[in-house]
Amino acid sequence: MIKKLFDWLRQPLGLIAVGIAFLALFSLAAYGIHYTQQAPAQPVQFPHKTHVAFGIQCLYCHPGAARGPAAGIPAESKCWGCHNQIAKTQTSALLAPLKDSVLSGTPLQWVPVAQVPDFVQFNHRAHIAAGQNCENCHGDMSKVTVAENPQIFNMGFCLNCHKKVAGDDHVKLVKLTDCGTCHY
Amino acid sequence: MIDLKVTEIKMGEEHVGKWGMVIDQDMCTGCQACVAACAMENNITFVGEKDSGYGRSMHWIRIERFWQGEYPEIKMTPNQPMMCQQCGSATCEPVCPAFATVHSQAEQLNLQVYNRCVGTRYCANNCPYQVRSFNWRDYKRPEPLANQFNPDVTVRRRGVMEKCTFCIQRIHKAEDKAKSEGREVVDGEFTTACAQACPATAITFGRVDDPESLVSQLARRHGHGVKHLEELGTLPNVTYFKGG
Amino acid sequence: MSDKFSRRDFLKLAGVGAATTAVLTGCGPASRYVKREPYLQMPEYNYNGLSTFYATTCRECAAGCGLVVRTMQGRALKTEGNANNPLNLGKTCARGQATLHGLYNPNRVRGPIKHSRGDRLYETAADPFNDDFNDSEANMNWDDATQAVADVLKKYQPGEIAFLLGMAPDHLFDLVADLASATGINAPVRFGALSMFESRATLSQAAENLFGESGLPFFDVGGAQAVFSFGANFLETWLSPVSYTRGYAGLRQALTKMRGTLVQFESRMSSTAGKADEWLPIRPGTEAMVALAIGRLVSEKRGGTIPRAFADVEPADAAAASGIALETLEHLAETFASSGAPLAIPGGAALGQSNGLAVAEAVLALNALADNFGKPGGVFFSALAPNQASYQRPASAREMQEFVQKMADGKIKALFVHGVNPAFELPASLDFKNALKNVEQVISFATFPDETAVEADYVFPDHHGLESWGYQRVTTGSAQPVLSGAQPVVSPYYDTRATADVLITAAQLAGGNFASALPFKDEVEFIKSKVSNLMGEADGYFSAPDADTFMAYFQQYGGWWKTSDGRSTPNSAEALNRDLSGAESEFTGAGEFFFIPFVSPTLAEAGANKPWLQELPDPTTTVMWNTWVEMNPATALELGIEDDDVIRITSDAGVLEAPVYRYPAIRPDTIAMPFGQGHTAYGRYAENRGVNPVDLIGQHFNEAGDLAFAGMKVKIEKTGRKQLLSRLESIMGVYGVGLGQE
Repeated sequence: MIKKLFDWLRQPLGLIAVGIAFLALFSLAAYGIHYTQQAPAQPVQFPHKTHVAFGIQCLYCHPGAARGPAAGIPAESKCWGCHNQIAKTQTSALLAPLKDSVLSGTPLQWVPVAQVPDFVQFNHRAHIAAGQNCENCHGDMSKVTVAENPQIFNMGFCLNCHKKVAGDDHVKLVKLTDCGTCHY
Repeated sequence: MIDLKVTEIKMGEEHVGKWGMVIDQDMCTGCQACVAACAMENNITFVGEKDSGYGRSMHWIRIERFWQGEYPEIKMTPNQPMMCQQCGSATCEPVCPAFATVHSQAEQLNLQVYNRCVGTRYCANNCPYQVRSFNWRDYKRPEPLANQFNPDVTVRRRGVMEKCTFCIQRIHKAEDKAKSEGREVVDGEFTTACAQACPATAITFGRVDDPESLVSQLARRHGHGVKHLEELGTLPNVTYFKGG
Repeated sequence: MSDKFSRRDFLKLAGVGAATTAVLTGCGPASRYVKREPYLQMPEYNYNGLSTFYATTCRECAAGCGLVVRTMQGRALKTEGNANNPLNLGKTCARGQATLHGLYNPNRVRGPIKHSRGDRLYETAADPFNDDFNDSEANMNWDDATQAVADVLKKYQPGEIAFLLGMAPDHLFDLVADLASATGINAPVRFGALSMFESRATLSQAAENLFGESGLPFFDVGGAQAVFSFGANFLETWLSPVSYTRGYAGLRQALTKMRGTLVQFESRMSSTAGKADEWLPIRPGTEAMVALAIGRLVSEKRGGTIPRAFADVEPADAAAASGIALETLEHLAETFASSGAPLAIPGGAALGQSNGLAVAEAVLALNALADNFGKPGGVFFSALAPNQASYQRPASAREMQEFVQKMADGKIKALFVHGVNPAFELPASLDFKNALKNVEQVISFATFPDETAVEADYVFPDHHGLESWGYQRVTTGSAQPVLSGAQPVVSPYYDTRATADVLITAAQLAGGNFASALPFKDEVEFIKSKVSNLMGEADGYFSAPDADTFMAYFQQYGGWWKTSDGRSTPNSAEALNRDLSGAESEFTGAGEFFFIPFVSPTLAEAGANKPWLQELPDPTTTVMWNTWVEMNPATALELGIEDDDVIRITSDAGVLEAPVYRYPAIRPDTIAMPFGQGHTAYGRYAENRGVNPVDLIGQHFNEAGDLAFAGMKVKIEKTGRKQLLSRLESIMGVYGVGLGQE
């Protein structure tokens, strides 16, 4: 049966069929790759650029970054602290999920976009203390609405920077390229 | 060309690592508190009766006891907590084809890089202390047991080798804290989960390269410490005292 | 599939298909994206990604060690010892570490349940995680549950209502005791399998007989130089294991003083005996005689008149009866006499015999001879906890027998059970389960679906210890009087409610005496009312200007304790001027083997449902996850028994079958078995695993009313079956034969 199938495929009609099938698969794959690169759907289309434009510091909402490993998503009481004083909050459809969430007491379900795999132990504090700015890794938030990942956080990305920072300092280089610094 | 540095081992060479342990076997009562503490700190899975019977249990630390003599003149040898000895020249390291078990130059520890590990188990076969354990399955930890996981430690999955890390997450945490306060890590500021739990204070952890640390002082004061299988040239960093 | 389309072709196509699917779905959003819920309101002192630590009390046993629990984002991650608490000074045992496997156990009672007796409590419709639960009759809400408790309180005469509580003298015991004294219901009975195996009644009775004062003796192992332990397994589960282990470390501390000696008289080598310098496999039942013989030899060495207590014993007879050579006894007496600080401890199986009281008296008399009372390395009365007037010991087995008899006679019509699992812990011969049938209403407050909860009409689950408020009096183990404080370290994971809250609300609903007995808003207010009188006490670890500040410190430090020594010195003036009996104990049963049940050092009475405790190797045999019978290899050879052969053990009270572990350090005429397994309920990790040795124990008591659990002789026979035991040592090759080679 499989031989018959191959015979048929060698005919012109069959070749066209193969071509169409190939195109279909290719476009499906291309769409798949495109799909994975999309920013996830967030419960609120949070406009980072608006907040940055008001002069709010990153660490105001993500204070964990300066204290410890996780930057964290702010508690809704923090959002509400400002927003319940803003008239637009009561009317804007975009802000309705926040209002509903606070009033009903059900937390919003955010999808974190900047993630590292489980086997990487990342510590924000050390990076901030070393003088890194948020945008070095997370991109310029004054340009985006919903946060996007400007680059893929793979090991090459981390190590390139670590090596650059260490420069000729051998002790620092050993520490910053040690497997055990991030993987345990 | 890659410059592969191979540590040359000379017998009797003075080797000073960075982190080390001193274990007083005379104090150890075999109560298993360290084993439980280690499991809770490091997200170690339990494997169940059948797999543990096959020797697949995942203890990173175990307490060995052997028998001497025959009844009624029988004696139990002093309990011997056995965990990764964090060898200065480890036999597990050169056999890993994936470079998953590598030596940390910064902390002078033997690392197990889970994401590199492909599960050849060569390292476990080559470890003279038999302290490496392999994830033979994705062992079930039914909800909500996973709530207890320590977020500082990777949860390993099937096909990955694992072993004692000297609680490297605690080392990093202490170093990070010290750095944020602009100081060095103070001896005794933190300790491993096993040493912290031990009711008999049989386990002491600290810097072996600092002559003033508690481990160095204990090693000097006891004066008759043993490093297990030292003759293999593994340069272990755990010193045992038989006591008695 | 036609014959021409080969399997190989199919696999190729299937492989391509699978790879495509994997590429398209594996990288898809479904697997990459997770959802995170931030706090609505960040709790005080919390930061994202940083841990918060709370001080509380360990509830795994009644010792009352202080814990500091690491939490993050509302989850408890790790228990660590509370370094401030003078009882455990920052240390914990394995059970304290594994308490998180209780908190996050997959088989907890998840809400109030109306239950028909005997039905399973999990993996059934009664399991609130089951989809059918919401519609089932078992489903209750807490208002109805509290009303049900109030109805029971109102419906029955006060004398027909009884409370059976756990061993720990905690706030709930105080609350129920207050309720009982105001309303006339039966005073709460405290019980636990550990108290049964520790023979606490025997210890305090012996103290009363010798010193004229009842109390729980405290043995200062840390300060002693020669410790003679008669069966006391103080490094395992005995009284306060963490504190005694600390004492042991002090005994061995070669750095500060001469290394102390430990001599253990025990018919099997427990892990305490394994640490001893000399282990003497004494014939069960002769401990009293040996203690008196050593006393006599010591007094002979000293010269002068031999005290009356040791006058009647003949060392040669003791040597013959006990199987210990006379020279050994003499050399031991020499050790005892020449030591600067000798100490003798009675405990374990030595007390669980028909002459247990005589053993305790003889051993305490040895201490009187050493004149070590109130001295470092000697014997004290344990410090009474703050707000405690006298030692309140848990019920002895005989008192439990009377209690069960009252139940069987129908004199108890409503039984409330909290913190104890008598259906599992009491010897089967007491027939608790049958007696329960004559109790009209049984309400269990069990956190876990244990055997007693299965026999209850209602299960109103209490919080897990790490989710609860409370305090616990430390009965022994620390020199200072200690009141360990407990606070919730995480919010309750399930729909559970504090039993104290349920009782307070139910008492209000019941009205009358009940309402006036417990005039509190909730549990916390009750606790406050009980501890706030300590805020002005002298020698306190902290003091506070007002009650609220005091409570804040109480939570912060994990309790309140004095900084001064609270132990008292027994009056030993007349201790040696008594006739002490050295008679051998009497054994029941017709068999040829002494039977020694002992508490599993890792599981104890309630650890079997925690999977990591199951996977901890037993310190002596390294067996995990099951019950074994220890038998001397020589005996096994004689009987043709090999490792893992299942044998049938018959006593005068029951029959059990369990696999043999050939244990090289046990008397050839003795077999031993750990207590802790053999559950018929209690969650997936405990159920149907191993056997329970209390099923073999008959209704035999010693003179103090404690169970003579080691006072039996049993018969054994081969069953021809094998049951492979999982043991750690097989991979280390002690015998060279592991499971893999069977």
